[in-house]
Amino acid sequence: MEILQALTAIWGARWPIMEGVGNTLFISLISIFLGTFLGVVVGLLLTYGGKIVRFLVRLYSDFLRGTPVFVLILACFYILSVIGIQLSAIQAGIFALTLFCSSHVGEIVRGALQAIPKGQTEAAKSVGLTFRTTFFSVLLPQALRQILPTWVNTATEIVKASTLLSIIGVVELLLSVQQVISRTYLSLELYFFAGFVFFLINFTIEKIGRYVERKVAIPT
Amino acid sequence: MLRSLSKYGIAAALLCATGSVAFADKLQDVLDRGYLIAGSGSTNAPWHFKDENNELVGFDIDMLRLIAKGLFDDPTKIEFVNQSGDARIPNLATDKVDVACQFMTVTAGRAQQVEFTVPYYREGVGLMLMANGDYKSHSDLLAAGDDVTVSVLQNVYAEEMVHAALPEANVDQYESVDLMYQALNSGRSAAAATDQSSLSWFMAQNPDRYLDAGYGWNPQSYSCAVKPGDQRWLNFVNSVLHEAMTGVEFNTYAASFKKWFAAELSPPQIGFPVEFK
Repeated sequence: MEILQALTAIWGARWPIMEGVGNTLFISLISIFLGTFLGVVVGLLLTYGGKIVRFLVRLYSDFLRGTPVFVLILACFYILSVIGIQLSAIQAGIFALTLFCSSHVGEIVRGALQAIPKGQTEAAKSVGLTFRTTFFSVLLPQALRQILPTWVNTATEIVKASTLLSIIGVVELLLSVQQVISRTYLSLELYFFAGFVFFLINFTIEKIGRYVERKVAIPT
Repeated sequence: MLRSLSKYGIAAALLCATGSVAFADKLQDVLDRGYLIAGSGSTNAPWHFKDENNELVGFDIDMLRLIAKGLFDDPTKIEFVNQSGDARIPNLATDKVDVACQFMTVTAGRAQQVEFTVPYYREGVGLMLMANGDYKSHSDLLAAGDDVTVSVLQNVYAEEMVHAALPEANVDQYESVDLMYQALNSGRSAAAATDQSSLSWFMAQNPDRYLDAGYGWNPQSYSCAVKPGDQRWLNFVNSVLHEAMTGVEFNTYAASFKKWFAAELSPPQIGFPVEFK
């Protein structure tokens, strides 16, 4: 039976596939983490920066959002090595995905902050809060509710975009499964399996997102 | 879309990289380094793929190991860089690999971007039949005219390709290799047409089940490639491959050929060099 054959093939290659899953998780989590951190900075600069800063950051964000991830990955791997920065495939991949993630998170943060009525910042100022306390105690808790659903969306996009790293030779989940396919010719079954594992990863991220959403929701 | 994008990437990389080729002595660099950095893939049997033990094996890999053996008298002094087909040329241009052996078809266009070695295999399209089927050879298929259906991988030129060998045959296109073979197994098609190397490998894996129709067409040469501009390195790799096919390493080459393509090679005739006949 084909299904049984596929399961045997997957079991036989469990360690390489696990390694692929590990790489996918590692690359995605690091990129999402760094990208989110950088993205918050981008969002803050886009919202509160001076005119020149805003213009430069907008250029950065628009350029990255307007470029296919695929091209970003190739650029990070090849263009950087031409100018003398030799990144390994995995480093270049994480770099590209981090940049991509930061531009998206930046826009999400900007949108969420701008959706908060101006009166709140003014009220905070009038009771003598510094910008720091205004941001962390007044704006961020409210913005977080706006940010979370779209942030989860971006996070799952990054997990899916990590498959593109196979082009520069990073053996992530998809490539590790393709290696099994090339030996066993069970393409439909194994691609379905890979798709299922990606679904599981993204489903988990979504569940965690929902959980945090409930935690930060306004109590009713 | 992706193809043209990667082409721009390649072009940009090439443009920037051509500035620094003067005085390159790759052979010395590799010898000093102590191991060869070799580019190949990992998803195409029998050329370059992971076996059950997760070891990279295949005919391309054997060729690369021959080069390492020529350099260091040790086929294990090699570091493989896993690359996709699209990455073959840019990885050479940006010095990420010393040499690429990855079932690379020699074309005049590519020869403007890399330097090809002598070919180490002649690929072509072949026909695979069921051993217990109605047809035994290409001439049987040809005689049957439009009674035969040939399964083939989905491709813009698929129909044209099959008709070059069997002008009247019906052509069924499939999305993947396993589906194409499945069509042959289930009798939906009388023959499967694809790369001769893939057929040979598949037949070697399933002995006595299939039959080669004994007809090949659409020839293409497979060569290794190096970054342009370093004649000494190119000559070295050429010497290794040439002597593998005609000289001291013939037995290694023939053993590898037998392993992956299930065919015996007879040794080159002793006496006058075969290549000048």
